[in-house]
Amino acid sequence: MKMMNSDRREILKSAAMAAAGSLVTGGSLPVVQADPGVADLPDGEGLTWNKAPCRFCGTGCHVQVGVEDGRVVAVAGDKAADVNKGLLCVKGYHVGGILYGEDRLTEPLLRQDDGTLKAISWDEALDIIAKRIFDSPQTFAFYGSGQWTIPEGFAAQKFMKGGLSNNHIDPNARLCMASAVTGFLGTYGVDEPAGCYQDLDECDVLITWGNNPAEMHPVLFSRVTDRRSRGEKVRIIDIGTRRTRTTDAANEYLNMKPHGDVAIALGIMHLLIENNTYDTSFVKDHCNFRAHPESGKTLMGEAISEDEFRKRIAEYTPERVSELSGLSVEQIRMLGDLFGDRNIRITSLWCMGMNQHTMGTAINTLVHGVHLLSGHFGKPGDSPTSLTGQPSACGTVREVGTLSHALPGGRVVANPEHRQQCEEFWNVPEGRINGTPGYHTVKMFDQFTMPTDEGGDITTMFVQVTNPGQTLPNLNKLFNDKEQLADKFLIVSDVYPTPTTALANLILPAAMWVEKNGMFGNSERRTQQWFKMVDPPGDARDDCWMTIAIARKLFEMGHEGMQDKDGEFIFAVKDESGEEIPIWEFEHYYDTNVDKHLFEEYRQFTTMKHKNLAPYEEYVKARGLRWPVVEQQDGSWRETRFRFSGFDDPFVAEGEEFDFYHSSTKDGKAQIWFHDYEPPPEMPDEDYPLWLCTGRVLEHWHTGSMTRRVTQLSRAMPTGYVEMNKEDAKDANIRQGETVVVESRRGSCQLPVWIDGRGRPPRGTIFVPFFDETKMINNVTLEAYCPISKQPDYKKCAARVRKMTEADS
Amino acid sequence: MPQSRFPPLVTRLPKPEDRPNTQEAPRSINGINIAPVPPTDLGTKRAAQTLPLHRPPGAIDEFQFLSGCTRCGDCITACPHDAIVKAPDRLGDVAGTPIIEADHSACMMCEDFPCIASCEPGVLIDSISPIMGTARITEHLCLAHHSTLCTVCSERCPVEGAIVVTQGKPTVNENDCTGCGVCRYVCPAPENAILLMPAFARPGLAQRHD
Repeated sequence: MKMMNSDRREILKSAAMAAAGSLVTGGSLPVVQADPGVADLPDGEGLTWNKAPCRFCGTGCHVQVGVEDGRVVAVAGDKAADVNKGLLCVKGYHVGGILYGEDRLTEPLLRQDDGTLKAISWDEALDIIAKRIFDSPQTFAFYGSGQWTIPEGFAAQKFMKGGLSNNHIDPNARLCMASAVTGFLGTYGVDEPAGCYQDLDECDVLITWGNNPAEMHPVLFSRVTDRRSRGEKVRIIDIGTRRTRTTDAANEYLNMKPHGDVAIALGIMHLLIENNTYDTSFVKDHCNFRAHPESGKTLMGEAISEDEFRKRIAEYTPERVSELSGLSVEQIRMLGDLFGDRNIRITSLWCMGMNQHTMGTAINTLVHGVHLLSGHFGKPGDSPTSLTGQPSACGTVREVGTLSHALPGGRVVANPEHRQQCEEFWNVPEGRINGTPGYHTVKMFDQFTMPTDEGGDITTMFVQVTNPGQTLPNLNKLFNDKEQLADKFLIVSDVYPTPTTALANLILPAAMWVEKNGMFGNSERRTQQWFKMVDPPGDARDDCWMTIAIARKLFEMGHEGMQDKDGEFIFAVKDESGEEIPIWEFEHYYDTNVDKHLFEEYRQFTTMKHKNLAPYEEYVKARGLRWPVVEQQDGSWRETRFRFSGFDDPFVAEGEEFDFYHSSTKDGKAQIWFHDYEPPPEMPDEDYPLWLCTGRVLEHWHTGSMTRRVTQLSRAMPTGYVEMNKEDAKDANIRQGETVVVESRRGSCQLPVWIDGRGRPPRGTIFVPFFDETKMINNVTLEAYCPISKQPDYKKCAARVRKMTEADS
Repeated sequence: MPQSRFPPLVTRLPKPEDRPNTQEAPRSINGINIAPVPPTDLGTKRAAQTLPLHRPPGAIDEFQFLSGCTRCGDCITACPHDAIVKAPDRLGDVAGTPIIEADHSACMMCEDFPCIASCEPGVLIDSISPIMGTARITEHLCLAHHSTLCTVCSERCPVEGAIVVTQGKPTVNENDCTGCGVCRYVCPAPENAILLMPAFARPGLAQRHD
């Protein structure tokens, strides 16, 4: 391996600095090289290395991307990145391969009356879309994802809410972390974790609540397990409904019943009170108590007294909790003692297990409550932390607010002041933004797949960067009906054919990852930036450009919403001489850095909730910065690792230990919630005797539309499967590898059986991953959702397993 | 944060022209090859020792194998996993004989070995153990040795106990490994971390006419 000599590195470094300040133009792409990331990577004629965050999960690892002759030819971990220090998971190493699947979409395709697809020009495609929106702007819906880059999400948000006065915009993140959002809001009055990944380096105990980071966030889990190989003691307690690869590394495994987590959290709080081991001074100084009012469930609830809290929690004795959760009384007492110990540091991790839950908001607030009540909060290693599954679920969905009820920077459409602020930032006329929340995801698809004459009032839907035809729950109800509805028009922008494009009327070929400029925000509040490095194939184009180009068509057709107060195009970008750059023409899109323009506009929105972001150029230099990022006296920009903690958060007043400065009670205090346990929406019975849980696997990301096209990943995990308990399989006379039918009241799916594989479910439970589009488990799942977050529960429903030879009953 | 004692892993992406060609299907009638095959002249001498080849399970001693194999392709047809292919022309004298190329498809160790059952000339036999070679793990290429979770080879290994995982890291138990190549086929490391070595020597048939 040839090492890069220092002279060459210097030249590249100065080139990087020069490029960082200039705008991206067609032919010459900037070279961004910070030495530590590439110091020992292979060198070669024409090979340049550039930084980019990984395209997959919410961990936010950085990779170094090797580009040669306009093609990505190599990928390595980025040593200069604080998140992953050069390490990657198996998907991350193959992230470059996702660009080069053989069936990339390369031209706009319009479905004909006979069902076939016909290639059309971009101009024709934009005309069709603009005409449908122009004719009926309020029955149009925009469905995106936590894979939208920050500028893409911001453009979509502005187009819908600031342009069309239409709030029917929602992301797939509704299916993914909406309950985490409502949990943070209900507890702290403001979204997103207080801690960061450093908690993983410093905790004494790690509790995984229905979470399998060994497979889903492997780089983060390595941070923990690797401490052991250095001789440190980290105790891992895995609370779950099945044994996983995380269990393999855990000191203890606590097998709970589905929904048992709610009872367990209540049981821990009960013991903290009963044993008087809760943190009296922390609670007195920094916490209030809260519960839903009797009139019904609300996001913010109402205040209750400490006495009332004590009275209600008194009912959750270890014995009762044991019955509800399936844990033993000793296990519950062990957890109670653990949180009662002030001399250890405890980090709780969770992801879909607690979020995809009909009590999602409740369990999120309860786990925060356990940490607050016990004072295990706000010190490195002492933290309740939710993980996200998408690269920019935080950066785009939660911060830009691409949800049907939200506006950028933590604002909501229902608040007149918030609407007014946004109208001012966007320079649009007063009253432009609609004050009524739009449809959330499940409702949006329900309205879209319902015939118009029966009240289905969404007639045109535009889907970007996601695959709802595979990921929505109960697909037969929420998606598959689209096929029969001739007057409903589905527009899908994607990079490969998917089950969603299969029903699309118009398919738009998209640029992906390093084929475009982008910014993501990861699970620990870290905002990341990258530059376009290669051209997309054929006629594939940026999603952000599509939104702007559609807006421009509408502008030209005379749609008033596409004009600001001064009659200018809402996405107008001007050059130094004041001349408008026609960024709606793709050949001019990279005449300027549109991402930078949109980001600088968006930055203004972020200070209200103290999620301050630095200027774009700071992110060019860094491997991401964790907000709030504030300017120092010397002009440098400082990121924040621990929010609300006086020792680190710049917004906590000097001398204060903690300040929850967005407290919903406006007294600087966080809320400790009480919720009563409720049973799951559907439970196994005589006809459907098994619990079905769904989820992901290490090798594939979400619906596999990218990873299944990488040979190595596809070979390593070639097919979806159903994990069965050995004894259950034996009783049903089912062999390893046999194909069976998994079915519920809603639909069925055929899958090979894997016994004693990666996951080992207890008796009466099966698990199926959802990555395989040839085996669609979401035909089987239930669409019941959390009443507050509207996030569906993919983790539990009643199902059965039938041998192929048995008749369908 | 984990620090590896190995150099960093780098994934190299093939350029389009580097993609391997697929093999063409064999043609045979009742065990007789009807596709043109280059002549083989082994004479009475042992074949020159070249690189050992990865033969299907149950293959007898290489010299006897080459003398007996008619290149009919029946084992290739019989294999339900398309794991057996014709040796390419570049291998000269042995071109057209059946081999396994685990990079394209590995032997799945079928319980009933249809390849052996289909072999009319009897150069694949069920009376010897189906050892095709052995696998070794190249630690500096293996993801598990780079602090990143990966358990694919041990999960997919068709021979119980042949790959064991201790503290997250796999090792091959050479006494049990048959060299089927499944681990090589499924390894998702940036550079394949499984070194698959064909058996250097295989048991022969008793020389009946002696």
